[in-house]
Amino acid sequence: MTDGPLIVQSDKTLLLEVDHPQATEARRAIAPFAELERAPEHVHTYRLTPLGLWNARAAGHDAEQVVSALMDYSRYPVPHSLLVDVAETMARYGRLQLVKHPVHGLVLQTTDRAVLTEVLRSKRTAGLVGDRIDEDTVVVHPSERGNLKQVLIKLGWPAEDLAGYVDGEKHDIALTPDGWTLRPYQEHAVESFWHGGSGVVVLPCGAGKTLVGAGAMAKSSTTTLILVTNTVSARQWKDELVRRTTLTEDEIGEYSGTRKEIRPVTIATYQVLTTRRKGVYTHLELLDARDWGLVVYDEVHLLPAPIFRMTADLQARRRLGLTATLVREDGREDEVFSLIGPKRFDAPWKDIEAQGYIAPAECTEVRLTLSDADRMAYAVAEPEEKYRLAASAPGKNRVVDQILQAHPGEQTLVIGQYIDQLHELAEHLDADLITGETTVKERQRLFDAFRTGEIHRLVVSKVANFSIDLPEASVAVQVSGSFGSRQEEAQRLGRVMRPKQDGRTAHFYTVVARDTVDQEFAAHRQRFLAEQGYAYKILDAEDLEEGLARELPS
Amino acid sequence: MAEHRSASTFSEALRTRDDDALVALLRARPDLVNPSPSTLRSLAARATGTASTERALADCDRLGLQVLESLVALATLGRPTTPDDVVAALSPADDVDPAALRRSVLVTLADLDARALVWSTPDGFRAAPGVAPLLGLYPAGLGPAAPHPADDLAALLEKARSDGGRGRAVLDALAWGPPVGVAPHEPRAVAAVDRLVADGLLLAPDAGHVVLPGEVGLALRSGRTHRDVRPGPPLPADGRSPAHATVDAEAAQQALEMVRLVTDLLRLWDDEPPTVLRTGGLAVRDLRRLALHLDTDDATAAAAAELALAAELVADDGEVPASFAPTTLADSWLAQDDDARWARLAHAWSASPRAAWLAATRDEQGSVRSALSPDHAVGWAVRLRRTVLDAVGASPVALGPADVRAVLAWEAPRNVPPGDAVDGVLAGARLLGVVALGALSTPGATLLDGDPGGAPDPAALARTAVALDAVLPAPVDDLLVQGDLTGIVPGRPGRDLAELLDAVAEVESRGAALTVRFTPASVERAMAGGLSAEDVLGRIDRHARGPLPQALEYLVRDVARRHGRVRVGAALSYVRVDDPAVVASLLADPALRALGLVGLAPTVVAANIPAARLHEALAAAGVTAVLEGPDGRAVSTARERRRAAPPSGRRGRGRAGGPSTGPPSGRRVDEDARARRVVAELRARDDLARAADHPGATGSTGAGAGPDLDLGPHRAGAAHASGARPGTTPPADTLALLREAIEERRLVDLSTVDGHGTPVIRTVRPLRLDGGRLRAVDPARDAELTVAVHRIASVVPRDD
Repeated sequence: MTDGPLIVQSDKTLLLEVDHPQATEARRAIAPFAELERAPEHVHTYRLTPLGLWNARAAGHDAEQVVSALMDYSRYPVPHSLLVDVAETMARYGRLQLVKHPVHGLVLQTTDRAVLTEVLRSKRTAGLVGDRIDEDTVVVHPSERGNLKQVLIKLGWPAEDLAGYVDGEKHDIALTPDGWTLRPYQEHAVESFWHGGSGVVVLPCGAGKTLVGAGAMAKSSTTTLILVTNTVSARQWKDELVRRTTLTEDEIGEYSGTRKEIRPVTIATYQVLTTRRKGVYTHLELLDARDWGLVVYDEVHLLPAPIFRMTADLQARRRLGLTATLVREDGREDEVFSLIGPKRFDAPWKDIEAQGYIAPAECTEVRLTLSDADRMAYAVAEPEEKYRLAASAPGKNRVVDQILQAHPGEQTLVIGQYIDQLHELAEHLDADLITGETTVKERQRLFDAFRTGEIHRLVVSKVANFSIDLPEASVAVQVSGSFGSRQEEAQRLGRVMRPKQDGRTAHFYTVVARDTVDQEFAAHRQRFLAEQGYAYKILDAEDLEEGLARELPS
Repeated sequence: MAEHRSASTFSEALRTRDDDALVALLRARPDLVNPSPSTLRSLAARATGTASTERALADCDRLGLQVLESLVALATLGRPTTPDDVVAALSPADDVDPAALRRSVLVTLADLDARALVWSTPDGFRAAPGVAPLLGLYPAGLGPAAPHPADDLAALLEKARSDGGRGRAVLDALAWGPPVGVAPHEPRAVAAVDRLVADGLLLAPDAGHVVLPGEVGLALRSGRTHRDVRPGPPLPADGRSPAHATVDAEAAQQALEMVRLVTDLLRLWDDEPPTVLRTGGLAVRDLRRLALHLDTDDATAAAAAELALAAELVADDGEVPASFAPTTLADSWLAQDDDARWARLAHAWSASPRAAWLAATRDEQGSVRSALSPDHAVGWAVRLRRTVLDAVGASPVALGPADVRAVLAWEAPRNVPPGDAVDGVLAGARLLGVVALGALSTPGATLLDGDPGGAPDPAALARTAVALDAVLPAPVDDLLVQGDLTGIVPGRPGRDLAELLDAVAEVESRGAALTVRFTPASVERAMAGGLSAEDVLGRIDRHARGPLPQALEYLVRDVARRHGRVRVGAALSYVRVDDPAVVASLLADPALRALGLVGLAPTVVAANIPAARLHEALAAAGVTAVLEGPDGRAVSTARERRRAAPPSGRRGRGRAGGPSTGPPSGRRVDEDARARRVVAELRARDDLARAADHPGATGSTGAGAGPDLDLGPHRAGAAHASGARPGTTPPADTLALLREAIEERRLVDLSTVDGHGTPVIRTVRPLRLDGGRLRAVDPARDAELTVAVHRIASVVPRDD
């Protein structure tokens, strides 16, 4: 029994005491195989999951390393059953391997005949594999490489994909580091990805995921397909690539609802790929339009299910996933693992913040007591109406006003869900409003104006949730959200976390109506950030002025 | 006790044992004393009877059986059977030290002698009569003695070996038994077999089979009756012995977990006692609910429920409808510390006659066996538990379930406990922390100190508790409270802290440490339990390292603010008044004080008596009121009928006493003293009988089919009071005489009674006594006859 910083729980969570002298060491030892679940101030919680253990196997770690890491740093004896379970789970990875056979092409081979027999007997693998060449080998239809991997992981026998990748069409890409360089963690992420072949890089919002993508493209130096969430984000990728790499505007194509350009580097939106006409995906040819050497998925955690299915056909191409969190509200983490690849790199938010690459942020929840009339209206409202009613409580306008007054001259975003509420707010604050109806051109104009400091305030709907790059936003106020989405909360916080030139602390406010579902949803949303170490302060709207004055002595 | 007495028969040998040896025998085979045998001869009869011998063999380990088989096989072939001969006949396994085996064989012989399974003759040991028939047709896999044994066996075998491959292959195939083979059809093989038969190396009892005679088999085995003999149970080859500290740490974890499960179970069932099924068990639905509440699987929840029942912490409350409710013992148990609580559970488990592992499993029909069902009470559970724990405790290496089964199969090959029962006991032991990592934990070992099945005495409980306490991690009183409203105790929480967290937080993860989350609901629960915001924060703060996060303080105060906004109470009737002044006067009126009036609002008063009586009481006090119905409309008093008030409050829960499943206590008899008394009686009676003239035994009828139906002297005597003749031997003696005659191949005069009641006396050689029938050969007529034992009037051995 050591006096280590780690406590291993029988439910497979690992508690890491951060203030312990050995904490950093222990964190490094367990990071390859344990998923960081939450990282509040004193004790970080990691979890051992099959996916995490297989990730570790994919990265070349073995069960012995895992077991010894647990035993070395554990304060109490590690439950024996857990160690056995770890060893057994890890032993399941790699019993099956996808490899290239000189004669038969893609084959699935095994080191354990019983396992191969077991998976071949399953109904799910029927049709995905061809003839059995010998006891240990079976032919795989190249087009089913992804589906097979997905099925195998569901069966609990994840295949190690050693079949390699097509080289893809060569296209020279290099970074142009004039006045900037990749940050150490970005470089590390690119290296880990490239070394692993395919996989996912997890970095906090604002930590420069686009640059990791650019770095990977430079490594690959091939034609590249980039899949992003929406058009605005596509434009930003394009701008960033032009700025940071040798690529010119002409080499980068946009494939979206409005434009259909196919160039050596093509940026496509999820939406256009999932557009269907008469039940048929009309833009699938894009995937085969060129001999892509690399496919980049931005915001993997939002990847829609149809794209997963398409991705199953892209298994011979290198795939890079970028995301701030592997948490998916739909629980499809295993598909990310099997179809895009294992997690290749991640760094906790607070670590990167500590290194000064993202701005420190202070989160505040302001609780507003509804007026008696509003409370009565809320009390008798239909259940499905309650959230809207509470979230767009009229009293919130005044609270937003007060907050904005406390941050004079700072670049401020007001984010909300309900268009009516946002219109009202925009009018009340005399600020511009961006919603789904705003044209792309108008959006770009407003964003540019905001960026240059021409305007200080913007009211945005959820269209601005993803991948809008507003470098100087330092205050965000959210007045309503998509129910309890932790996803969205993280994204919104990400809006204010780009490092400020003067090193200022960013502020993130959530205004909620007390004693309503609004408050409950807010609690759920905040959990993710609280678990990332961003503890919320709670202020009563009535004490707001005094509270803000105390918080912001300036 | 191994001093060699020379006796010609088994019963004689039994008689010549000294008193201590007899006492030891009765202690080792308690079935011989129940009921007390009347004479030493009937003791011998009972000891050699099928039932008792079977029982004694069931207690023999593999080595004991191998020794017995060896004795029987050697004797059948006319070989000497001294201890050295037996040692020589047993070939040790490769990894066994021959000297160690020799020591074990000698000890085993002495032990078999003590249990009267063998007896010593001048030529060595002999298996007791009654043993050989139970060892199967071919003891040690050796065939019968050849009718005409070949003199030059060695030469013949040499010849057969050199005679091509076939004859040799046949001999090798039959050498280590079974000695019977199917005769071949292939011509060359037939020729080889024929040659072997001609040489007397094989017997061909019929056209289809061949038999290897015992002598030949023994020669082929180089004089050995058994090979690969080991002095002790087989242990896993790659077995490792886990470090004590590791075992104990794992056990401590389990122990705490089990205590927690039972504690939570009691709390749940205190609030909502589950109904007892008509068949006496717990409904599957209630088990699921329990499992859900305990955050565990059905099997573990069932184990916890069974433990609570065994420890008498819950019981059928005996009400209608009956439910399982915590008993009065539960309260004292809950007041104890973890170690003492565990000691109670562990002792109750060890002494419980219930096959608890059956709960929540499926029976042959596929239906789930309910937990707490009275059907699971099986007497042998206590013994099996002890056997399993002994096996695990005695092993120098860790044993998995399969290993334990192998050890038990070695220790009693004729009485192997069912595999799933062994697994069930082990699973229960692991859940409880008695066994961990395949080894007995230090606290678990304390359970082996006492007598299994006995009521645990306070000293034993205390020893177990102390043993557990020594291996539990030291309690921690620190709480790390974090901004995401979780709290972490980096170790086992001390009692005060555990109680606090239990009251104010939800547990998120358990194990070496405890993670809790503070939620509005959990804080609300604490306030409902009577804590104020200041209490909650103050108590958390006392344990917290560092300042409390603002979010937690806010949460607690916010909940306190909302707490108690809606209130519920009980009242039987109310008074509504328009004028607050009237209310004030009602509350102030001393004449109305007995009505239990409570002012709820300026114009509403609640009362604790039924509305009609309140109405009358108010009228008597001069306040005229109108009775109103549930809809607020006035009700005419004329139609008002008096109705019984529903029983108020919760039905009082009968705290049932001890369940009927507990072991009977106070019925324990000093077995040793009893055995001594029986021996003294036997001796006295035997001396008396010897003093009197005791020539031939004359018959008695009416005995049962075997010695196990021995009715004892009194009833037998009563049955024959009318027709008793002098010198009549009790039926048990008849059987003993017959068995000895079979063993010695002696002739006896058998007098039987035929269907007409006519006595017939024949001189016969008894062959076999089986199933209430005697098979014997009448040498005069050279015919076999079968006689029902109950028709045998008397048996007189012939001296020839």
